[in-house]
Amino acid sequence: MAERVLVIGLDCMTPQFVFGPGRFDLPNLARLMRNGCWGKLESCHPPITVPAWASMMSSKDPGTLGIYGFRNRKDHSYDGMFTANAAAVREKRVWDILSRQGKKVVVLGVPQTYPVKPVNGWLVSGFLAPNTEAEFTYPKSLAQELREAVGEYIIDVKDFRTDDKDQLLGRIHDLMENRFAVARHLMDTKPWDFFMMVEMGVDRLHHAFWRFCDPEHPEFQPGNPYEHVLREYYQAVDARIGELLERVGEETAVLVVSDHGAKSMIGGVCVNQWLIDEGLLTVNDDLSGRKRFEDCDVDWSRTKAWSSGGYYARVFLNVRGREPQGIIAPEDYEAVRDDLVRRIESMTGPDGQPLNNRAHKPQDLYHQVNGVAPDLIVYFGDLRWRSVGSVGYDSAFTFENDTGPDDANHDYHGIFILDDRSGRGGMEVTGLQLMDVAPTVLSLLGVDVPADMQGKTFT
Amino acid sequence: MPKAATLQFHGAGAVEVAKAAGMRLIETGRAAEQLTGDTVAKLGGPAGAAHACRLLSRNGVFVLCSDSRVTPEGEVIAIDLDPNDTPEFAAEKALELLQELGLFADTVGDYSADEEEEIRKRLSDLGYIE
Repeated sequence: MAERVLVIGLDCMTPQFVFGPGRFDLPNLARLMRNGCWGKLESCHPPITVPAWASMMSSKDPGTLGIYGFRNRKDHSYDGMFTANAAAVREKRVWDILSRQGKKVVVLGVPQTYPVKPVNGWLVSGFLAPNTEAEFTYPKSLAQELREAVGEYIIDVKDFRTDDKDQLLGRIHDLMENRFAVARHLMDTKPWDFFMMVEMGVDRLHHAFWRFCDPEHPEFQPGNPYEHVLREYYQAVDARIGELLERVGEETAVLVVSDHGAKSMIGGVCVNQWLIDEGLLTVNDDLSGRKRFEDCDVDWSRTKAWSSGGYYARVFLNVRGREPQGIIAPEDYEAVRDDLVRRIESMTGPDGQPLNNRAHKPQDLYHQVNGVAPDLIVYFGDLRWRSVGSVGYDSAFTFENDTGPDDANHDYHGIFILDDRSGRGGMEVTGLQLMDVAPTVLSLLGVDVPADMQGKTFT
Repeated sequence: MPKAATLQFHGAGAVEVAKAAGMRLIETGRAAEQLTGDTVAKLGGPAGAAHACRLLSRNGVFVLCSDSRVTPEGEVIAIDLDPNDTPEFAAEKALELLQELGLFADTVGDYSADEEEEIRKRLSDLGYIE
């Protein structure tokens, strides 16, 4: 049993750069791996920051949480949506459980921790805080303390969709340096049994710079000025992790985790455009130019399905008696859904080859399906293609992103490194899933694992 | 009318916890009154205060009592405080108990319209939504 547990979360840190044959030289992570154990950590469905971190720290799958992405349907209306912030997480997360056991906790930058809720310790919310004018810390006085100690807390990278890559790279590094500076301050000044931080810059860097670094990306050019920024950033993060490790002793178990990985993104599937072409969606708009789907005049009386865009697609069916102007008879629902799965999974790409899409029914993925779930969760091209929600395209495929440059999509596995000081000797572990993290942390601290946690304890 | 009850806090820091719990309840739109030694005196002593608890709680007002001399009438929830908890955290635990008992639903968490738009744009810029 450990006296304390330190969890370092690195959003989107991807296994191939830490474990793979082309891994970067990361001495601090390598030392943890050598002394402890390591392996790929399977993400949730969908493999997205929200709901992934909440799933990891509550040990509940997204269906049980009723959170299927950042934006969720509030009800079965066509436009009722809400952003899944901390208020949407109804299940207790590790720090809630530990707080109630009298353990002192520090929680820093973890997604879905705004609005803040009191804990037995200190909490600085993650990037769903609107700004630092809002009450983003617990206790409230911590905000001023951080201002005085390390300067203004950086919630996220501003102006992410810019072509000025030099400035963007600087801002991503600033985000990371700021987050670790706050971590060092909290570590130096607060007593804790459980300390968890999440660094978001890795994710931002992947999306913004992947094409410059990955020879497999279609737009990679050898010798470009950003060719090594991923390696350099990973090494900078590793150095900052080293500074945290210097602050803890042998009594502290250290866990380094990421919520998902990353891979090269080829382009986007214009999912609503495709649904229009398939005769499943009708809009009354002039589609000679691009238009956000939210701004379209949808003819719901002639629409069977529509979708939201993002790194994956959430497809919704227009069901009679469920949606306000539904046209699919309830008794035909499963047949229509099965037909849509077949059409999506048989889609071919621009080259005429199978795209290798996957369309999942939530009921097949989760223990429970709470809230208003999508009817289908769709990954295009094994996640090498993103989902584009806007319409007005000549084809179902685009190599541009209507929100600006983006080079990477999420991948199904993140990383897991645990040095629990028991001398595991660098063992590789397999079969771990996000939901295994919470019970493992509780076990490390000698706290009973709630029976309703869905993951397993790694011992 | 929403259901309410009297929360009677026992232990060190009861006044501060009652105050913190009252503020959280009021933030969510619920009515709450704090019952301290001073208010008990103004109500004519513990017996009068005990009766006030019944009147207030049956009218949808949460009563937050930190005076151990009072034996409240009506629905009462006794809470033993952990001396290691901060007042805010202890209040949070009390509100969670109310939620479990079906007496309270936490509605804090919605963004303002401006904040919602700011977050929506941020998520769109980051590629999470379109």
